[in-house]
Amino acid sequence: MNTPFGRLLGAELKLMLRDPLVLTFVFVFPVLTMLIIGGSFGTKPDPGFGNRDPAHWYVASYLTVVIAATGLIMLPVHLASYRERGVLRRFAAAGFPRWSFALAQLVVGLVAVAAASAVELGVAAPVYGVPVVHEFWRVALGIGLGAIAFVSLGVLLGTLLPSARAAQAVGLLLFFPSFLLGAGGPPPRAFGPAMRSISDLLPLTQVTDAIRDPWLGLGPATVSLIVVAVLAAVSAAVAARRVAL
Amino acid sequence: MPTTDVVTVRGLRKLYGGRPVVDGLDLDVREGEVVGLIGANGAGKTTTVECIQGLRRPDAGTIRVLGLDPVVDSEWLRPLIGSQLQDSALPDRLRVAEAVGLFRRRGGRDGDDLLEQFGLAERRRSAFGSLSGGERQRLFLVLALLGRPRLVILDELTQGLDPAARRNVWDAVSQLRSDGTTVLLVTHELDDAEALCDWVVAMRAGRILDSGPPAELVDRHARRATIRFALPDAESSDELLDELRGVVGVESAECHVGRATVLGDRRAIAHVGAALVRAGTVPTDLSVQIPSLEDALIGLLDGAQAPGSSDERSHYLIGATP
Repeated sequence: MNTPFGRLLGAELKLMLRDPLVLTFVFVFPVLTMLIIGGSFGTKPDPGFGNRDPAHWYVASYLTVVIAATGLIMLPVHLASYRERGVLRRFAAAGFPRWSFALAQLVVGLVAVAAASAVELGVAAPVYGVPVVHEFWRVALGIGLGAIAFVSLGVLLGTLLPSARAAQAVGLLLFFPSFLLGAGGPPPRAFGPAMRSISDLLPLTQVTDAIRDPWLGLGPATVSLIVVAVLAAVSAAVAARRVAL
Repeated sequence: MPTTDVVTVRGLRKLYGGRPVVDGLDLDVREGEVVGLIGANGAGKTTTVECIQGLRRPDAGTIRVLGLDPVVDSEWLRPLIGSQLQDSALPDRLRVAEAVGLFRRRGGRDGDDLLEQFGLAERRRSAFGSLSGGERQRLFLVLALLGRPRLVILDELTQGLDPAARRNVWDAVSQLRSDGTTVLLVTHELDDAEALCDWVVAMRAGRILDSGPPAELVDRHARRATIRFALPDAESSDELLDELRGVVGVESAECHVGRATVLGDRRAIAHVGAALVRAGTVPTDLSVQIPSLEDALIGLLDGAQAPGSSDERSHYLIGATP
């Protein structure tokens, strides 16, 4: 940890835990909304939820909410704020390699996803129970690739948006439709055909399907997994090119 | 022992949206010097030092810092430069000791010693966001010095500081000079430049207007000293003023409501004093107003032609006359 990258990563991890926006949106919001909506449709298997317990449906879906909150709100606001206030210039002038800050943010984002997911499952376990994972490696792959895709997207947005306020506005604008239509909102049966089509096009829906379907035994969701893999590769590559301290 | 150039800039040109911000600038900073870039906002000072640090890529010209290209060799060069940047910050929740740990370098100076030296030892556990303006600037100085840099670049170091904090920062820069560290200081606070710099470069619209030691710039562009005192009596006043008008360096000597106002160059100060003593008139209220670097810069910006520096460093004047 004595390299510039190691020191930067250590500092950023500490700062993440001190940031009220992160604590609210990444750690508290998904848990709170999961508790509310998870208890809204009962616990009996329901055809609208693939004949699964609706509460379990939402427990499996809400890992994606954590991923979206990290990628669409936490990282863009954090990075845009750093750029706006000249923090990135200071790091650059002090000789931190160009790649080190982006990589540190990528790792911080992935740690945030892992920690917030653990909190979500920890809270869900005594309330609704955690559903059995039918295809562990597909679920793990879906979570990993989805997290890389959205964390990279967050780094990219943070380098494109001019200020923290702009990042917050754009982040919220991207987050809530994705959240409502692609992960934690009403069940898909409640959508009309048009809304269903929009939902299918959302990247977050693909991540949710790639995680939830193999988790609950609803199918392998191979197409969704491939889409998420492509999204992860493209957004990571574009973010890497875009990062310029 | 010959002095070596730490910074060499030739023909630097930088455009923003097609508009030249730095336009054909030449600059040399020699080892152990404190050199100041002065000028109004928009003169191109910050852009110049950002190019020198490799934070911006020049559109034309060459820059060498310690013999290296700041853009191509940034990985090797940046550890050799300590910088305090204008309008930059640290994360608000980062603590002082954590910032020192983050910016430390192998073989660098002891962070605790520096915090002690700059009066921040008591603030080690304080978050950056809770520091006052003066404390932040002193922390930036600590961070700039951690790696034992060979060149320190300080951009608007005293901006927004109260007088006491400003003095504190001046002491710190004086300490750097005593230690033999080369310093490039960017400021539009001319008191800073006058107090701290061995050599001052005045800029306007991306070009150098003139350069030299602060006292020489003052002499060239704001030579006039003003001497005032009460005249002894009406009878001898005219005779005394006539005598003073013939003194070396005096340009005019006038009386207004019983008080004499003598204008001249700096030589006049001593000669007028001597003439008064010879005449047996030693006023108890004599005051002398000497022009400052600010007066000189105003003279320059008012369109005074830069007459050029007489010493070997006259190359600072390349393209000087706007």
